[in-house]
Amino acid sequence: MSAVRAASLPATSTPRKRRVRLRPSRIVVNVVLAAIAIFWLVPAIGLAIISLRPESAFDQSGWWTVLTAPAQLTFSNYQALFAQGFKPGGVLDSLTTSLAITIPVTILVTVISSLSAYSLVFGRWRGRTLVFLLIVAMLVLPLQMALIPVASLYSAIGSATGFKLFGSVIGTIIFHVAFGLPFGIFLMRNFYTGIPHDLLEAGRIDGAGEWTLFRRVVLPLGLPAAASLAIFQFIWVWNDLLVSLIFLTGNTHQTLTLFLYGQTRFLASNYWIIATGGMISIVIPLIVFFAFQRFFVRGVLAGAVK
Amino acid sequence: MSGVVLDDLTKRYDGGALAVNKLNLDIKDGEFVCLVGPSGCGKTTALRMIAGLEDITSGEVRIGDRVVNNLPPRDRDIAMVFQSYALYPHMSVRDNMAFGLQLRKTPKADIDKAVVDAARILDLERFLDRKPGQLSGGQRQRVALGRAIVRDPAVFLMDEPLSNLDAKLRVQTRAEIARMHTRLEATMIYVTHDQVEAMTMGDRIAVINEGVLQQAGSPKELYELPQNRFVAGFIGSPSMNFVEVKVDVSGGTVKLSEEGVELIPDDVQSALLRDSGLEKVIVGFRPEHLIAGVPPGPGLRITAAIDVIEFLGNDQLIHGITEGHDIVAIVNADTELSVGESVVLSTEPRRLHLFNPTTGERIAKAA
Repeated sequence: MSAVRAASLPATSTPRKRRVRLRPSRIVVNVVLAAIAIFWLVPAIGLAIISLRPESAFDQSGWWTVLTAPAQLTFSNYQALFAQGFKPGGVLDSLTTSLAITIPVTILVTVISSLSAYSLVFGRWRGRTLVFLLIVAMLVLPLQMALIPVASLYSAIGSATGFKLFGSVIGTIIFHVAFGLPFGIFLMRNFYTGIPHDLLEAGRIDGAGEWTLFRRVVLPLGLPAAASLAIFQFIWVWNDLLVSLIFLTGNTHQTLTLFLYGQTRFLASNYWIIATGGMISIVIPLIVFFAFQRFFVRGVLAGAVK
Repeated sequence: MSGVVLDDLTKRYDGGALAVNKLNLDIKDGEFVCLVGPSGCGKTTALRMIAGLEDITSGEVRIGDRVVNNLPPRDRDIAMVFQSYALYPHMSVRDNMAFGLQLRKTPKADIDKAVVDAARILDLERFLDRKPGQLSGGQRQRVALGRAIVRDPAVFLMDEPLSNLDAKLRVQTRAEIARMHTRLEATMIYVTHDQVEAMTMGDRIAVINEGVLQQAGSPKELYELPQNRFVAGFIGSPSMNFVEVKVDVSGGTVKLSEEGVELIPDDVQSALLRDSGLEKVIVGFRPEHLIAGVPPGPGLRITAAIDVIEFLGNDQLIHGITEGHDIVAIVNADTELSVGESVVLSTEPRRLHLFNPTTGERIAKAA
């Protein structure tokens, strides 16, 4: 119920909020928040500017000189990186590999978590609570504990069936999905418990089966939670280095994090590649965030009951 | 349209608690039946078993001539209005009403017509494209009714649909549901804890307590001939007064007495009391049947000290105290009374109800 209450609060308190906003204390809070935001943004802005300055400028002057001499800005770094095309080891190939892992993982985790949570909350089978507790228990398992067992399992499957999981994109996806699910199910289940059971009963009387109830009633109401989960999941997998470092061993295609990691080995001369590659790796999560944030619809449940 | 028969309907929860115990009720086609009782009495559980939302432990539910025990809700040809309304918050009013028909693959033109008709009946036409969150409580309630109407079901089930509305709106919507019943000539089963609602709306009322049916009958029957002390106390507002009195059979006359209470029963009652052989009985009488003053002939006479007077406009509500009993009476506001004063309240024998003190059953002629 708490999720419903929290979600419906803003809708009811809007008029009061507007009046409160004029208070001087509010203005102070906003100024402080803006200052903190700018302070935090400085490194990112610096990185962006470095990526937009000629390679040679890095050793000669600081990025802030752009503020007085904006003419030095150029896209040459990006052109140089993109010029390599999609050949393995290049930035575009890494970008594609990262997307090829992150997108399926995000979709699979969100969909499977939603379905599992539906069954855990609205199903009528015995032992639902026990299963849920087991899933919660899995949350505390550190990922690195499973690296070696899963790697050897993959190798065993590979030598037994010939289906190569270790060092493959599919193997990496499976690992990410397995470790994304406990949190995903936990999040979705907690949100779904806030959906009134009356709604599902009304649906059952209206003639809906379980699948229709999930698709037409529960899924749309759980959209804010599913969107949060998708964003979290996307960013975690996108930023992952450890899992791809192990499970993409020997693969010619690398993720963006692996690409950047590789570049740091030549740190002295490669600042421009790290800055430019870093910018490319920031842009995608930003797009995802802004694309999904409109689904954080507040107050979707207001008016469901009472 | 079709009737509903409950045959020894029983619900026992996993923990062993008995929610509904052998409920028998024959609801005719087109009848408006209210299930009424205090909270936790099993009336909602009974309704949910009819709806198919609750498993039936034993017994049978028949809708029309089908036994529906094992049918899912959607195959029972019912519609239900929930206490919480249970509107789909992410759908417009139009979609909320159309949802059930869409799932039944009704042609689009028919759905549109049914929705617009229902909206017109319920005065919701202006709100069809709004979401439930943008509506007031009364409007949401009407959408919930509309969702049931468009389905044109054999039986309407309503679970305390008015309890979230304010007093004025409740009276309005009560009339609206009554009109809806007349127009649709539909079978309706209506659950409420409010006996006033049950009395005003139901063709027939079934009073349930602790999972057991106490009495089923027309509002008039329940009011005039309550079969036990529970029904007598539950129906009517303010509730009936009860006084335990000693039975004194000496010679041909029967006298009932208790300090401050004098009672001379009529011939029929005397005969009943003689036959029962009881030494004590509980006598019940309604506040609205008491008058301040002594009536001629037999009847009840109580002397009480006035404790509280509540002015109601046309009437006044008197709380009087006599030895160990609180007596409530409604008398005409013109009667001059004041707190602390001693007053004689009386009523005729035909207004008296006699109950067995151990079983609580009405003392009546053996059938």
